[in-house]
Amino acid sequence: MVALMQTPLRPTPPLRLVDAPPQPSSAAQEAIIRVDDLSIVFDVPRGEVIAVDRVSLAVLPGEFVSLVGPSGCGKSTLLNAMAGLERPFEGEVKVAGEPMVAPRPDIGMVFQQPHLFPWKSVRRNIAHGPRALGKSKTEALRIADDLIDMIGLTRFANAYPHTLSGGMQQRVAIARALANQPRVLLMDEPFGALDAQTRAVMQDNLLELRDRINATIVFVTHDIDEAILLSDRVLIMSAGPGRILRDLSVALPRPRSSAILTDPAYLALKRDCLDLIRTEGRKAFEQMEAAT
Amino acid sequence: MSAGGSSRTTSAGRLSVLVGALSVPAFVGVWELIARSRIVNAVLFPPPSTVAVAVLDWIHSGQFFGDLSASLFRVTAGFLIGTAGGIMLGVLTGRFRLVSSLLSPLFHILRPIPPIAFVPIVILWFGLSEAGKLFLVVWGVFFTVWLATHIGVQKVDRGLIRAAQMLGTPRRQMLTEIILLGALPYIVVGLRTAVSISFYTLVAAELAGAFAGIVYRIEIAQQNMQTGQVMGGLAALGLLSFIADRSFAAIAERAVWWR
Repeated sequence: MVALMQTPLRPTPPLRLVDAPPQPSSAAQEAIIRVDDLSIVFDVPRGEVIAVDRVSLAVLPGEFVSLVGPSGCGKSTLLNAMAGLERPFEGEVKVAGEPMVAPRPDIGMVFQQPHLFPWKSVRRNIAHGPRALGKSKTEALRIADDLIDMIGLTRFANAYPHTLSGGMQQRVAIARALANQPRVLLMDEPFGALDAQTRAVMQDNLLELRDRINATIVFVTHDIDEAILLSDRVLIMSAGPGRILRDLSVALPRPRSSAILTDPAYLALKRDCLDLIRTEGRKAFEQMEAAT
Repeated sequence: MSAGGSSRTTSAGRLSVLVGALSVPAFVGVWELIARSRIVNAVLFPPPSTVAVAVLDWIHSGQFFGDLSASLFRVTAGFLIGTAGGIMLGVLTGRFRLVSSLLSPLFHILRPIPPIAFVPIVILWFGLSEAGKLFLVVWGVFFTVWLATHIGVQKVDRGLIRAAQMLGTPRRQMLTEIILLGALPYIVVGLRTAVSISFYTLVAAELAGAFAGIVYRIEIAQQNMQTGQVMGGLAALGLLSFIADRSFAAIAERAVWWR
């Protein structure tokens, strides 16, 4: 049954929806993340589920790439594979040339829930990574204090996580992930659990933060607005089994802010994205119908 | 209207505090009256005043502090050893499936056997030595703490573990910080149960034969028909385990310091 759902559909080349300066091809520039023919299969009580089906992609250093798709399309699984938290069933994930087999401190991750250590203050949460990597306490706390200033939580440096709001906790989680100065920052629906207002503020914060840090970012979301606002490229995924449908360049000028959400060029891009998801979704659905 | 309601609640609250303060004195008073009225045999059911005299004699004879320290040592040492072992093995069985497969079935078979049932074999193994008494207390405490830790470790938020992994946390720190502190709220609940279990097994250990101890003194007094001393011993044991439980509750509240 599952095997029948595997259609010969392959990721198509980037569809340029707005005039963008020609991107350097991934051949010309060495990709920092390279996913080759990756499949991930989960054992479930009634057999196996293909969460990620023969996905290939490359992310260039400094790029901000979003993975967009409906819930359960395998986008988080794909991200976990890049983090070394999920082992490939077939294929390979390489970050900075090394195959991912286990989590690595040069790859940071922010989850949907902040997952802060409840027994540590904000400062010590952020200092955890540098300490774990063997930096001195003074050095680790200095790194933490710099990051606390950057995320604007100076007053809360010694507060415990449960005393902070959801948005503040997620800012601490981002700072904690940045404390090890990762080359790659993976974000798994980091603003998904926040209310709309907080989410908008967090998106603006992330855009500002991005200019100051030197990391490649892969961002998982099901919110197309969020993906277009933040990203250089948006990868649209299909559900069951997870596959990349389209690779879209977002050629909107930077610096961006949430003000572009009403820009006509932005709206045109969003409409195209939505159309694409709708047609591709329908196509996949019909293929599934025909197969059964 | 609402003011009347709240004042009524306050006066009801005051009344209940007053009644609460009178609870124990009233009980002692009724006991004294009944025992003195000769409705009951005063030898078997002595009045509180006789019990108080027996307790004072116990203290003056110098035996009380010997008994107290012997019992306190058994409870404290047994509790600490059992706790240390329970937490260590609980972390291992909770975290490593192989260790759990090896030990959990065994522990689940041994755990439900009431520790008191081990008294005969403990006497065979250890005679009337201190080691045997410690063994009983350790045995009782260990399984309670082990189970609480084992469950606590399995309930540690997976997200916390993943976050710690992503930050490069070394394996040892993962166990001693993330897992242990993550499970601490559960462990503390187990430790509090273990406090009362340690007293419960102390009774069995001293009844089985000892040369000093509060329960030992109770047994000797019973053989000599000193009912006042028996009741005094029970009161001392009750007070001791009450204090232990309350101080532990106070410590436990601070143990999970981030709440």
